[in-house]
Amino acid sequence: MLRFCDFVLRAVAPLVPYDIRRDWLREWRAEFAYTSARARRTGRSMPVTSFSRAIGSIVHALWLRWDRWRVEMIMQDLKHALRSLRRKPSFTVVVVLTLAIGIGGTTAIFGAVNAVLLRPLPYPQPDGLVRVYKTSLDQQDRVGGSVSPPDFTDWRRDNTVFTELAALNNASVALTGLGAAEQIPSALVTGGFFEVMGTHPEIGRAITTADDPMGSRDVVVLGYDIWRRRFGSNPSIVGQQITLDGTPYEVIGVMPDGFRYPLRSEMWLPLRFSARDLETQRGAHYIDVVGRLKASTSIEQARENMRAIAARLATDFPPTNRNNSASVHPLRESLVGSVRQSMFVLLGAVGMVLLIVCVNIASLVLIRAVGRGRELAVRAAMGAGRATLVRSLLVESLVLGVMGGVAGLVTAYWATTAIASLDPSIGVPLLNQTRLDVTVTFFAFAIAMMATILFGTMPAWQASSLGDVVSRIREEGGSTTSDPKRQRMRSMLIVAETTLAVVLLVGAGLLARSFDRLLSVDLGFSADAVQSFAVAMPSAKYAAPGQRQQFIETLVSRAISHPNVESAAAVFGLPLTNFRFSISTSTRDGVTLSDDDQDRLTLQVRLITPDYFKTMGIAIKRGHVFTVSDRLGTERVAMVNETGAALVWPNQDAIGHQLEIGTRFGLGGDRAGGTIVGIVGDVRDWGPAVPVAPTLYLPYAQWPEDSMTIVAKARNGDPSSLIQPMRAVLQGLDRDVPMYSVRSVPQIASNAVAQPRLYLVLIASFAGTAMLLAAIGLYGVLAYAVGQRTREIGIRLALGAKRGEVLRMVMAQAGRLAVVGVGIGLIAAVLASRVLRSQLFEIAPTDAITYVAVAGALLLVSLIASWIPARRAARIDPLAALRHD
Amino acid sequence: MQAISGGYQYGFDIIDQTGLPSGTVYPALGRLERDGLVKSAWENEHDAHAEGRPARRYYKLTAPGVKALAESASFYRALLPAGKPKPVRG
Repeated sequence: MLRFCDFVLRAVAPLVPYDIRRDWLREWRAEFAYTSARARRTGRSMPVTSFSRAIGSIVHALWLRWDRWRVEMIMQDLKHALRSLRRKPSFTVVVVLTLAIGIGGTTAIFGAVNAVLLRPLPYPQPDGLVRVYKTSLDQQDRVGGSVSPPDFTDWRRDNTVFTELAALNNASVALTGLGAAEQIPSALVTGGFFEVMGTHPEIGRAITTADDPMGSRDVVVLGYDIWRRRFGSNPSIVGQQITLDGTPYEVIGVMPDGFRYPLRSEMWLPLRFSARDLETQRGAHYIDVVGRLKASTSIEQARENMRAIAARLATDFPPTNRNNSASVHPLRESLVGSVRQSMFVLLGAVGMVLLIVCVNIASLVLIRAVGRGRELAVRAAMGAGRATLVRSLLVESLVLGVMGGVAGLVTAYWATTAIASLDPSIGVPLLNQTRLDVTVTFFAFAIAMMATILFGTMPAWQASSLGDVVSRIREEGGSTTSDPKRQRMRSMLIVAETTLAVVLLVGAGLLARSFDRLLSVDLGFSADAVQSFAVAMPSAKYAAPGQRQQFIETLVSRAISHPNVESAAAVFGLPLTNFRFSISTSTRDGVTLSDDDQDRLTLQVRLITPDYFKTMGIAIKRGHVFTVSDRLGTERVAMVNETGAALVWPNQDAIGHQLEIGTRFGLGGDRAGGTIVGIVGDVRDWGPAVPVAPTLYLPYAQWPEDSMTIVAKARNGDPSSLIQPMRAVLQGLDRDVPMYSVRSVPQIASNAVAQPRLYLVLIASFAGTAMLLAAIGLYGVLAYAVGQRTREIGIRLALGAKRGEVLRMVMAQAGRLAVVGVGIGLIAAVLASRVLRSQLFEIAPTDAITYVAVAGALLLVSLIASWIPARRAARIDPLAALRHD
Repeated sequence: MQAISGGYQYGFDIIDQTGLPSGTVYPALGRLERDGLVKSAWENEHDAHAEGRPARRYYKLTAPGVKALAESASFYRALLPAGKPKPVRG
């Protein structure tokens, strides 16, 4: 132990000011020796105490050093630092801006990653929360797959791994009777839901299993936000009735602030299954299932248990379940699984920027400090010790670091706020929870500071270690070339920077090309002047199909009669709204299909009014569209898109043929379908990157649903000019039917590519920053080198070298660095761009055009960056240069 | 200072007596010494050699140090509730 303590003392001693170092060593050695002697005497060993006291010696040494420096530092060095920074404003500004970008960018992106992927979900014991999915045997572990009510009921009864399992379904209900009607995003939940989430109402009670039976009282639990917004935070609302979809519901509870699951819902209503549902709906998969694992159960055990239950149900109910299995995934994964990879790629990209920032600062500060070698040597000659020189540069680096840190904090705050306020429809869940993360800000700050301090003080160590001060002064003043060792170090930094910049630029280039391809995809409709909004008819008031049909028909005809409306229609399932409603074909031309064929011929179903295709600009390929005479009671008709026609009747003309779809859910009790009267062009319903689905269109008048989207095309070309007139039309018809999801079709289309756009913008701005920093770094290194070689170049010119040759010589130096950096960067990019594969649309990660363009762009930028110092070199006056001391 | 007031004190004894870490005690001693409230000296070499160890440095209060200690003691006493000063254990 004593030997360890002595080792620590000797290691720390150089920190202690020289004049008191001997006393310090003597005191500590004596104290340790005394302690050890005493321990020997009393027969006790004291390793822990000795260890902690050895640490104390380090603190003491640091304190002595600080105590000696304190006064001089604050007064003298600070003044000196500020003066020298002010003397080189461009250097100071570049370093501070670079730090701001590095610290600000890293912190903001990490804040987003933290909110989306890392921070625990805002529910108690979030690790136990899982989603349970119905999957198929060939994709057993898939994330996603809605569940049918009978399957859910059996899962809940038979599992041994969950403390509770609950079903839920998204809904949207109209709140009326309190001022303007409003459509509220809500969730229908079974009794165990709040128990699963582990969150209880702040006021009143939750929905429990006692609310599950069909015919129980209609109750609702309010979210905190809507309670505040619509009910003025009135606690006595609990126990009162409110009107939802025309039916009275008793408010039984209010959830605490911040509780949101599903993420958009503001109210929770009971989800109930009738005995008939449970008997007949095993094939109707429309509910989501959440569960809470028992404390001792692993997710793997839960998976096994659920798979076993699914296998048993497959044997018991072969027609609906024979291919089914079940999967269990953490709730977080189901929420953010789809964006996980892109978030980590972003984090990696911003990490690279931070790295470049550090390299750049290192190279800038190094150049600046080495350029002051003469100053330092003179100061050393005047008697300044190595420690004093280090201290002086340390203070300067600290000042620089603090300025950059403050600028970084401001940037981080601004960027974080910008991320958190992005439109939630961009589709990255929890992104609006992004906060300024203190740990990360500090981390980024510390790294950048370290780079500043390390590289800023390095020359001082060298300056005084050379010892032979005189030769050094002479060397610094009259050198013909710069020190090759240090030049190599700076060159390596530039190559590293260029390499990183190439990787980022290739990533940005690939994403840009992919985005361009996305935008050039023909979506199958052309509706730039179309405004859309949704209406939901309260089920109590519009119970009969005829009432619903009447309402929509009147609404559309009144919309059309507005002078600014060119055409208008209603649709159940607007494109690009992530709407999915698929039903398998049950009979084709009167022949019942086999089970396998029924599944294979699954069609997306859309309900439309006659002018839908005209309003949306969707091409009619063959046959004719529905007319107003296609109504309830007349011959059933249908239309298909081209993909659907080719799927169901390959190599035949679909017109005149018949088909029926299995009514799994939603369209009343009858089998839907009819005679095909027309074929329309394909529409990219789920975005440009998703293949077209075979789609069946049915006339709304024959299949009246209760929630529809109205589309209206403006004559003046400006869709937003229709919002007010359409609201008036709707209110004139029924004040209790709210207008919601008010968006123009161009907005919807732009939203459909919002995620790739955001991704592209972020990566591209990182890459642009990287390129700029690399250029600044290259410029700095060359400018310095030219400065150092002034005398050499002067001699060359005096001996007859042409100015063009000098220009070429300097540019060639830059060119070599750039070529090496770009070369290594391209290889690194081939390896790194693989992580982008899933983000790219119709572009290979090895796309040659991108690589060539990036290489060309970086070389060009390098040439531009080297042009200024090269020209300065070529303009050197030989006489002045030779006189240069 | 209270710890040193009892007489000569060595660094580690002060640490043991106050229960403060060595990284706190030594800088504090350094500050007191700089302000002239404490002074230090080396113990007699012979005594140390008799125990088979090097000589240790001890600290003691100076006259201004004694005065400062008395002042701060009365200051802290004044912070106590009116009446007799409560007996301090230890």
